[in-house]
Amino acid sequence: MKTKIGVYICHCGGNISDYVDVKKVREAVKDIEGVEISLDTMFACADSSQKQISDDVAEKGLDGLVVASCSPKLHYPTFSACAERGGLNKYNYVHANIREQVSWAHSDNKEAATEKAIKIVKAAIARVKESAALEPIEIKAQKSIAVLGAGVAGMRAAKELADLGIQVYLIEREHFTGGRVSQLDYLCGADITGKELVTHLYEKIHEHPNVTLFTGAEVIEKGGSIGNFKIKVKITPRFIKKECNPEELKKAIEVCPVEVEDDFNFNITKRKAIYKNYDSEYPQIPTIDNKNCTRCGECEKVCSSIDFSQKEEILDLTVGSILAATGFDPYQPKDGEFGWGIGNVVTLPQFRRIINMCDDKLIYKGKEIKDIAYIYCVGSRQVDGDNKYCSRYCCTATLYTSILTHKKYKGINSYHFNRGIRTYGKQEVIYDEASRLGDIFLQSYEYDPPVVEKVNGKTNVKIEDILTGGREIEVDADLVVLVTGMEPRNDCTIGDVLKIPKGRDRFYNEIHMKLRPVETVIDGITIAGACQGPKNIMESMNSALSAAAKSYSIVNKGELALEPIIAKVDKKTCIWCGKCAEACPYDAIEMIKENGKEIAEINASVCKGCGMCLPVCESNSIDMDGFTDVEIESMISVLAES
Amino acid sequence: MQDNQKIKEYDALVIGAGIAGGEAALNLANLGNKVLLIDKDLTVGGKMIMLSKVFPTLDCSACITTPKVSEIARHSNITVLTSTEASDIIQKDDGTFEALITTQPRYVVVEDCTGCQLCEEACPVNVEDEYQYGLAGRKAAFIPFSIASPRAAAIDIENCTLCGACERACPTHCIDFTQTEEKYTISCKTVVAATGFQLFDPTLIPRYGFGRFKNVITSMQMERQLAPTRPFNTVLRPSDGKMPDNIAYILCTGSRDKTVGTPICSQVCCMYSTKQAQLLMGALPMADITLYYLHIRAFGKGFNEFYAQAQSMGVEFVKGKVAKITEKEDGNLILRYEDINTGKVTETEHDMVVLSVGILPNEGITGLFTNRKLELDPFNYVSQSSPLESPAMTTVDGVFVAGTASGPMDIPDSILSAGAASSEAANYIRKVSQNKVTV
Repeated sequence: MKTKIGVYICHCGGNISDYVDVKKVREAVKDIEGVEISLDTMFACADSSQKQISDDVAEKGLDGLVVASCSPKLHYPTFSACAERGGLNKYNYVHANIREQVSWAHSDNKEAATEKAIKIVKAAIARVKESAALEPIEIKAQKSIAVLGAGVAGMRAAKELADLGIQVYLIEREHFTGGRVSQLDYLCGADITGKELVTHLYEKIHEHPNVTLFTGAEVIEKGGSIGNFKIKVKITPRFIKKECNPEELKKAIEVCPVEVEDDFNFNITKRKAIYKNYDSEYPQIPTIDNKNCTRCGECEKVCSSIDFSQKEEILDLTVGSILAATGFDPYQPKDGEFGWGIGNVVTLPQFRRIINMCDDKLIYKGKEIKDIAYIYCVGSRQVDGDNKYCSRYCCTATLYTSILTHKKYKGINSYHFNRGIRTYGKQEVIYDEASRLGDIFLQSYEYDPPVVEKVNGKTNVKIEDILTGGREIEVDADLVVLVTGMEPRNDCTIGDVLKIPKGRDRFYNEIHMKLRPVETVIDGITIAGACQGPKNIMESMNSALSAAAKSYSIVNKGELALEPIIAKVDKKTCIWCGKCAEACPYDAIEMIKENGKEIAEINASVCKGCGMCLPVCESNSIDMDGFTDVEIESMISVLAES
Repeated sequence: MQDNQKIKEYDALVIGAGIAGGEAALNLANLGNKVLLIDKDLTVGGKMIMLSKVFPTLDCSACITTPKVSEIARHSNITVLTSTEASDIIQKDDGTFEALITTQPRYVVVEDCTGCQLCEEACPVNVEDEYQYGLAGRKAAFIPFSIASPRAAAIDIENCTLCGACERACPTHCIDFTQTEEKYTISCKTVVAATGFQLFDPTLIPRYGFGRFKNVITSMQMERQLAPTRPFNTVLRPSDGKMPDNIAYILCTGSRDKTVGTPICSQVCCMYSTKQAQLLMGALPMADITLYYLHIRAFGKGFNEFYAQAQSMGVEFVKGKVAKITEKEDGNLILRYEDINTGKVTETEHDMVVLSVGILPNEGITGLFTNRKLELDPFNYVSQSSPLESPAMTTVDGVFVAGTASGPMDIPDSILSAGAASSEAANYIRKVSQNKVTV
């Protein structure tokens, strides 16, 4: 039982004290048995307050500490560190949340809020009295990291980690590296093309002794935990030998009779079942599209490099951290959405491929294109649909595309049907340049989007234009470009395997946008690039490098101290019914035999302290360190007092 | 700090202790590097520590900044020096750097100051408080603000009359007028430039009347009125101390405006104005808030949803550039603008106007380097030599840029940019340590 407890109650600069009478809370708890010191403070988290708390712990020899402030999500680590600095075991610290749970929730009733705050602080004091000192669990951490996705973000992170001396497994689902950026040619704000950027990054990781690249590879299972993730990687065969003959392979592609939609070109062209997306693509070896190959054997006749005997492989890897850079998918318009389905309506990614294929004249489906209508925010900022978010990159990308068409072809007229151009920051100059090139901007009302229709053989775009005071304006376009936004990957199997939580926008969620922007709630798994939310290349790189630094900091020491808040089995009373093992979502519980008796054993480095095993244990043989039955019951009795 | 002939050695010198510099320093320190973090101001935390709540989550800014600031102050691998600047930075042949560090006297022994504020009470000199952006006064002996780090007094020697009242009042005798400027050289393996931004000076747009019309304030002044460490504990208009009930925001004040030399967008004003509008609806439930804008740039994660939320709360968004403001006798203001939605030139009266001022690069960073040229971009931000591949890289090998020193950005982007800078700086330190750098 603790006899020297320090209690600190935070005003949170008004966030709490505007609704909770902090002084009254202090009055109510100051004479509780065991409370040595009780104070209120403007900002408990401020450096000076933290110093006072840790000084008090040291000087007064406090044996328990309670800080009543905001959510423990934000400041539990702050104050438990204060306890530690003062010489108190950090598990003798209990956090009371009187902001999110009290002042913010009950701003309409100050008296009741104060009452509730008193109860919560009293309960925390009751719990701290029963708290036990715990020591962290030391484990070894693998000095290796799995980077998922070999787009530009993944490759960049892999290079950085490899340079820092970490063994990197770069795992790419496709048979080629480069992700979405390889589908772009000219890049806004750079003098290199997307393919050149990809090539450059590829060369760096390819030569690097610390990087092992797997293409056609997918993580299908994840076990273990931070420091020691055990992943299973499924590698699908290319059906082409590593030592291949490029000339013969060219012939093999020629003779392949199978033609399918080319998804690299967003289905505006066809490709063979044996293919490479573009000449300089890496790895340089083509692949056979197993789904569409008919095994007719034509390619084998002309090429000795074909090898249909290659089998799928499953690889087991152990890594200290996982960095997910799995990218995005462009939004796919629905039938009829802004004229989607009309022959000359394409998406922006398709249009970029078309520009790449047309040299001096812009031709689509045999017709020369002069008048181009861009419709913005397709699949973004939806009024009716689910995608409420802005895709961030598209305004600039579209204006840049328009500038490209002016530079490459003569006589282009661009009409931008937008919803307010968002060329933030320095990208403003792109907007300026497009305006000076004579592009026409028309802006629709929020709930009144432009209409695309086929009228007398022409594709007509109609808008009620804000910029001319609501006039109805029509344009007959040779080509309508739907500026499609970014969406989370449609196939997000990997997210499910890793159990990364998603936000309301369905992108992977970081823990805290400002405090921990590349970490996920799954310890040891970081996220980078557009899988976390729409980003341009530079922003993806920043997040990739940040995630690399974070993953590196997890593995670089080779050991980790884990939270000791885990389940414990009472060997005497356990009768091994197996229910705990069934309930455990982390496979942390196994049956062992001790002195001839079957009992449950908990793997300390895998147990996350979730508590799922506790309620199912019929003999009540499991208790949770840091949240023992005694602690919880002591809180309940205080809260139940009237 | 004593005058020490021996050159102090660090792995990294981080210039600027705002949120970006602080984040970069912490990352580097956590990877085992010795970091010298300097700031020319009296406190670390930069601009962010001054803010109220931050978009789009409405977290209290101080609640996010203070734990970082505290971690920085306490980290065994970080040395923090305030009132300190670097200059004469030389890069040597092995890729490492030497820099001259100059610390201005604070006239207070920080270790002995308890922050009791008795010196403040005793000081007879009243001057404008720059930390409250001129909304309130402070003494010449003062603590910058309650969550400053270090939370220690300083003497504003420019305004001090040397009356000695503070010295007599100080219970720990920590005031020391004999302190002088300190200069010494340090060596380091990498430099991170996190020199932040400055705010646009709205007196450059005379037609908005800032400085002449009392009820025209800047967005930073409004930010202070909404912050937990606010001067008045409510929102007041300056002319008569009344609570305003019809507030206008003029966006793009000093951004996207070639007439004042800023062609680019400041990237944060749309969102901070939308945020302030939401906070004002809480602080002044009866007030009408109108934002006059060109385009609302709600582009980041959760931003567009935040903008929609403001609209649904009743914040008025009017598309149109305000041409001119005139002041009425009662202090109210008439805004003249073309309402783009109707196409008509319109005049509207408000009782308070907030100018959403843009952000500008801080000057002087290039002059710090002697034998290397740190290039700037056309907008005078630190130039990124490889923005798509290594966004933190500058034109000087081994010098990395973090946060708004390379261009306007919001807090999440600044933190990611600092993450990138620390990652690349850590790698550079590693290379220098292995003698793999030749310059």
